[in-house]
Amino acid sequence: MSSDTTTAGFDVGGAFDVNAPQAVVAVVAALGLLTLPFWASESFTNVMVYAGFWAVFAAGWDVISGHTGYISFGHSLLSGSAAYATALLVVKVDPHLSLFVTIPVSIGAAVAMGMVFGLPSLRLRGPYFSLVTFTSVLIALKLIDVFSGVTNGHLGMSGIDVFTYDTTTFYYYTLGLAACVGAVLVVVSRSNVGRVLLAINAREQTVEEAGIDTTKFKLWAFLISAITMGFGGVFLAHYYGNVSPANSMSVADSILIIAMAAVGGTGSIVGPMAGAYLLLFLRDVLFQNWLGIGSNVRLVLLWAIVVVLLVAAPEGVFVRLWRWLGDPRGGGSRG
Amino acid sequence: MAESGGLLAVDGLTKRFGGLVAVDDLSFTVERGEILGVIGPNGAGKSTVFNCVVGQYDVTDGRVTFADDDVTDWDTHDIVNAGLARVSQHSRPFDAMTVRENIHLFTVPNSVLAFRGGASDEAVGDIAALVGIDDALDERPPDLTHEYTRRLEIARALATDPELLLLDEPFAGFTQEEVRDLRASIETINDDGTALVVVDHNMRGLMALVDRVVVVHDGALLTSGTPEEIADDDTVADVYLGETGDAS
Amino acid sequence: MGEVLSILLTGAMISSVYALMALGFTLVMGLRGVLNLSHGALIMVGAYAFFVANQFLPGVGALVVAVVVGAVASYLVYVGLVRYTEEDLIITFMVTIVVALALQSAATYFFSSEARSLVPLVAGGVHVVGTTVRLDEVLAFCVSWAAIGLLYYFVTETRTGQAILASSMSRRGALLNGVDLGRVNAVTWLVAGALAGLSGVFLGALQSTSPTMWADPLALSFIIVVIGGVGSIKGSLVGAYVIGFLQTITSTVGSSQYRGLFALVLLVAIILLKPEGLFGREFVE
Repeated sequence: MSSDTTTAGFDVGGAFDVNAPQAVVAVVAALGLLTLPFWASESFTNVMVYAGFWAVFAAGWDVISGHTGYISFGHSLLSGSAAYATALLVVKVDPHLSLFVTIPVSIGAAVAMGMVFGLPSLRLRGPYFSLVTFTSVLIALKLIDVFSGVTNGHLGMSGIDVFTYDTTTFYYYTLGLAACVGAVLVVVSRSNVGRVLLAINAREQTVEEAGIDTTKFKLWAFLISAITMGFGGVFLAHYYGNVSPANSMSVADSILIIAMAAVGGTGSIVGPMAGAYLLLFLRDVLFQNWLGIGSNVRLVLLWAIVVVLLVAAPEGVFVRLWRWLGDPRGGGSRG
Repeated sequence: MAESGGLLAVDGLTKRFGGLVAVDDLSFTVERGEILGVIGPNGAGKSTVFNCVVGQYDVTDGRVTFADDDVTDWDTHDIVNAGLARVSQHSRPFDAMTVRENIHLFTVPNSVLAFRGGASDEAVGDIAALVGIDDALDERPPDLTHEYTRRLEIARALATDPELLLLDEPFAGFTQEEVRDLRASIETINDDGTALVVVDHNMRGLMALVDRVVVVHDGALLTSGTPEEIADDDTVADVYLGETGDAS
Repeated sequence: MGEVLSILLTGAMISSVYALMALGFTLVMGLRGVLNLSHGALIMVGAYAFFVANQFLPGVGALVVAVVVGAVASYLVYVGLVRYTEEDLIITFMVTIVVALALQSAATYFFSSEARSLVPLVAGGVHVVGTTVRLDEVLAFCVSWAAIGLLYYFVTETRTGQAILASSMSRRGALLNGVDLGRVNAVTWLVAGALAGLSGVFLGALQSTSPTMWADPLALSFIIVVIGGVGSIKGSLVGAYVIGFLQTITSTVGSSQYRGLFALVLLVAIILLKPEGLFGREFVE
């Protein structure tokens, strides 16, 4: 089965090399998302609003960890840094600062934090990197506590301008953000850069022997990831209107991002985004709203399902689905 | 035995793993455009030498000079970009990519802005043709024969446009006919100006191919000379006692 | 003088318990790079096992029960779950999270979410040079070091123990030497669980016991292992003592707000200067 993608250069053709069943499913899903506020309840829509943020976070995680295999367990550090930067600017400097100032500065904060921990740790392999990223969140949480005179500790800071209180409007904001982020990251992923990152996951030494500086590429991916997380973090701050360790710099959140990406299908950008929508639907719509399961059990149940899904489809539920649609008779599709 | 000049100069190379000395004060050179054979029994340390040369391992002592640069402490990618490529004895193709994509990756420039770039389809096809695998460009490595997999490894290394190509046990697992074909390919590569080092654990494949031979035993240099001299050398034959096959 | 002595004694004691905690964690991680998030929960299991057993048995007996329960629980996690998912780091990580959350839920269900203090093994104290030393702290110190000594003997003198050390350095090397990796894994988890259970008893008594108590020890274990180096017993010991003393000094001398700060500053320094830890190796496949 010859592919009509050119290997030399830009591979967008490959990304959209879809067959009829895949196209149908994609269009239906897109339409469903676009019209969601019109057919879903208010609470359902509300969940899908912040699912959009999580889709951004999952995609941001995927571009570094899903592609290179360097599993970051502390990605909420990046989004949280941006959120806290916004809060600090608004609360401590000037409540009327323009978004054109706060957004770049906040994203800069995310990038700076990312580099502080990313630069030294990306030259480590495997679990060392993961361990370091995990502790980076702990460090940030401690700093927030130590400097609680400024950060107000676990109570957090409020007074951030909420973009809108209308659920439907915000839904389209986050959907739009997710779509833009997704588009950019898909382009990166399907380019040479993405190929290099995936190859690093397969065998880093071989990529070095291709004359490619793997550390440089890992840092680049981390940078792209930090910027993505920064965008998400800033918008999240403007969604909640306040910023606290619980909603912005949480260890549990870092781990949930990994689950979303893994369930969706690491390395595909779109898979993790779909995974975000799926898991939040399960946790907050199905389990909470529709089935009324208590919060303690809900959490265990969600994680149990995550494990089952991962064992059943290690490549990711949505990647498996996409490949199956591409070649229902089996033999493996080139998703 | 340090000599100046030559394309690659290994000078007093020593590699220790904890208490084990894998390479022991080894020195040799490779001249521009020549084909050098490196032989030695299994476990002699031949692969370790080249892991050090190519920057995969840090050397314990000694120096590696390539094209007048001291590359001893260089990162692998810098060494490759300077013109020294290596084909390991273990094939490690990227199974999720096609042959075409595997080769193409080795032409991608070392730049994070290289979203496009790397060799054109045609150029990739030419490289594949050089080692005779251009009829498998859209296959994936798990579906390739052993011979094609090994040739893919060579194609990838060639794609980096090397001045010197290290081949570690290229004939392993080949039939007589496949050995002949690969020898011819190697000679063509050499005719284009690329110097080669071919590692093997006996002389049979190398006799007609190489210009000079270096013999390694227990991590150290045993002797060196022309293929004929080595074939007649008794100390070399002794070292191979217990190995199957003649030293000639 | 009394205060300095008090710091030295308390610091030494808490550090030895931290060492127990970190050793279990680093052993498992050194083997296959498995980040065992249920480690903290196993500590909690040890604490609650002691609590329950202490209703029927004297302190020593309850201690033994706690160690055994910790070891068995850990072994079951490996044999029942992790063994099948080890190859994939992410799935294994998720599995251990599920275990931790499930254990927390179970603990909340059976014991309610209130914090309790375990009955100290040995009551009373002793006056030494102007300061009072609690006997149960002394006991914790002695027992911990006895356990560490046993562990050291185990990994240096017994075949299985040596196999564990070897496997953590190089899996392939160990395989080539005929090491039964499945057995090595199982034994490692058993030992790690025993250490967790034991440390749970002391942490539960010296600090407090509750269904959410597993998070802080887990975080501390991480920090200690990052500082000391993964898979290194010496590193875990040194790291534990550094962290233990830093904590004791800052909470005695400074305000509680700064309690974790110096540990974190040290952590940042290590991450920036020597990310593989003081005694760590680069992770070799």
